[in-house]
Amino acid sequence: MSLPESMSRVVVVGTKSRMEEAIEAFYSVRALHLIDHTSGTDNMSIGTPMPTNQKAAERLLKVRAMEKELGIGEKTETARVSVGEIKSQISSGSVESIEAEVLKVLDVRSDLNQRITELNAKKKSLELLTPIPVDLELYRGYKSLAVIVGSVKEDPSEALKTLADSEAFVSYKKKEGGVAAVFVRAGDKDKATSILSEYGLVEIQVPEGKGPVSEAVVLASEGLADLSAKLESVEKEAEALQMKHKAVLRASEEELSIEIEKGEVPLRIAVGEYSYIMDAWVPTSKVQYVSTELESRLGNDVHVEFEETRGRNLHEEEKAEERFKKVPTKNNNGAIAKEFEYATSLVSTPKYQEIDPSILIMFFLPLFFGFMIGDCGYAIPFIILGAYGLKVTHHKDWRAIATVLFFGGIWAFLFGFFFFGEALGMHFIGHWEPPLHMTWEGLLGVHMPDWFGALMVNGHGVSKLGEEVGMLLKLTIYIGIIHIFIGYMCGFLNIRRQHNNKHAFFEKGGWIITFVGMVVLCYALTQMLFSKLPLEGTLLYILAAGAAMLLVGLVVNFKTEGIMAILELPGIVGMILSYARLAAIGMSKAGMAMAFNYIAFGMIMGMGDAVVWPSIGMLILGLVLFAGLHLVVWTLGILSAGLHALRLQFVELMTKFFAGGGIKYEPLKVKRIRTILTQAETNKEV
Amino acid sequence: MVLEGDVGTGLIAIGAGLAVGLTGLGAGMGEKDVGAAAVGAITEDPGIFGKAMIFMVIPETIVIFGLVIAIMAIFVMV
Repeated sequence: MSLPESMSRVVVVGTKSRMEEAIEAFYSVRALHLIDHTSGTDNMSIGTPMPTNQKAAERLLKVRAMEKELGIGEKTETARVSVGEIKSQISSGSVESIEAEVLKVLDVRSDLNQRITELNAKKKSLELLTPIPVDLELYRGYKSLAVIVGSVKEDPSEALKTLADSEAFVSYKKKEGGVAAVFVRAGDKDKATSILSEYGLVEIQVPEGKGPVSEAVVLASEGLADLSAKLESVEKEAEALQMKHKAVLRASEEELSIEIEKGEVPLRIAVGEYSYIMDAWVPTSKVQYVSTELESRLGNDVHVEFEETRGRNLHEEEKAEERFKKVPTKNNNGAIAKEFEYATSLVSTPKYQEIDPSILIMFFLPLFFGFMIGDCGYAIPFIILGAYGLKVTHHKDWRAIATVLFFGGIWAFLFGFFFFGEALGMHFIGHWEPPLHMTWEGLLGVHMPDWFGALMVNGHGVSKLGEEVGMLLKLTIYIGIIHIFIGYMCGFLNIRRQHNNKHAFFEKGGWIITFVGMVVLCYALTQMLFSKLPLEGTLLYILAAGAAMLLVGLVVNFKTEGIMAILELPGIVGMILSYARLAAIGMSKAGMAMAFNYIAFGMIMGMGDAVVWPSIGMLILGLVLFAGLHLVVWTLGILSAGLHALRLQFVELMTKFFAGGGIKYEPLKVKRIRTILTQAETNKEV
Repeated sequence: MVLEGDVGTGLIAIGAGLAVGLTGLGAGMGEKDVGAAAVGAITEDPGIFGKAMIFMVIPETIVIFGLVIAIMAIFVMV
């Protein structure tokens, strides 16, 4: 069974003077999973970042700021730039020169934006003042006069009449509110303000200017139009800059990020005055390669020392030094099983010492999905959609879904044709007796050849909604028993590998015996209760054997787990019955499909006991409805069959053996999206 | 409308309906609380989807029991 790849621990020692070159080499072998250095011993302590890092960080900050201002985001499509070119551009100061160019435009843009905002505010104040017949220059420049100007919520005209020696201009409209300009003696200013504030005064600053307000408004509008035109041309310039520099900026960002990441490696390893020491996990199969590769590139300035190949027994982990205890998990799966690692990762990363469930999920998830769908008509779109998804998408979530749809679709076709013998809720073979028995043979008025029917179970397939439901139910229960048994066996193997046979027997063996005992006992009981067989002869022996195994298993479990062992006993029956959902989901789909077929053919097209094709109008209406309603069943199928199939893996299967909580294997390597290595560089780097 | 069949068949049908319906209600009430908590937890950390789903579907088994009883009532017991 598939265990994560075997890992070995190595120590890499080298001279400090060539550390930068060494880090490049570490990244190029793509196999070293660093073990962080924790404490200082023998004059070795955690190192400091590479001296070039500070400059790179500054540049990265500039690049990101420019990208933000120019609207270059994750999704901006750009051409890929070769690494050598972008490196030479960065070192020749391209970031700084682009910054100068971009800042020039951006400064103008922000200046224009600010002026537009100011002018807009001025225009707004002026528009408020338009109803008052006072020229702008008359609002200011007095020594003994105070001027209060503002908007009011209610009409203050009456109240203002109480002020002596004053001139008040009020314009008020009931719905919109109004504006008031009051000229009073300087000494009366507080009094006037207090009167006005009762009417909801909000003072406004009168903009500077001369002449009538309405003229000033026109001037402001013209100014705004002018500024907007300028802004538009600057925006165009900015856009041109974006087009011109986006490739270089994105590539610089990527290159600088990589440079910084590499520059921070010394922070994770031990560095002394003249040398460095690095601990790392390497897949056992690659130790030789790593060692030869590093030594060929750095000669005598590096030495790779093999320390240990970690076994799966937990004793080895207990003996190890704290930071060497956990071994990273590198999944060891083939191309197809790899797509199902995502499903496993939804629960947890497998531990180094345990079986990776991905391969079991690869087999059972599509199988269960296909069994629940069990219909040729739905299977074909699933296969097409899955194949298309696998072809176009690279995102791991979508790929996982597409894989399930593709393989699940194939299983659904196999089950749908050979086992259930139906498409779109109708059997291929049989008489036309709506609503319960609607068949393709009856609908199309043809007789399928005998060999066609002979391909199917019972000559016409199993009906999901008839007398055969009892058989389907039994079948799903048997599937469940096998599935759970595999889970228990994996659990046993895990414990055996991590500890020993004795441990495995007490921890999982007891449960296996209990499980088998319970299955045998339940078999005998169902024969007795449902099939009404008398309890004698073989059946009695079976019952006794089941009870005995149950008892033995219980004793073993009781010794390890105490009272919990008894409490968990009914759970076994629950788990097995849980697989009845395989039949149940299929039945619900078939029931819906049958009802929809009857609606389309029986009700809309008016087909009764005999198939009579209706007029063209009703035929089209019926077919459109037929397609639409089946699309509903199909869509629901993805959700219900997909989720239930996944649940059976997560809950019923994986809880039997899967602990999870492992560390993901993440070797030092870089992923380039925006930059590309030329052939010569590739040879140098890898 | 005249009903066909005997009272016993009718009672079996009602029993089967009750078995699925009531267990469905029960499972729904159980999943309500777990589901709300699970959605909250996944919002905080999408990485725990699988674990949340395991807890989420635990009450669901009850409705399968109801379904098994219903199928047995209709097809096996008759």
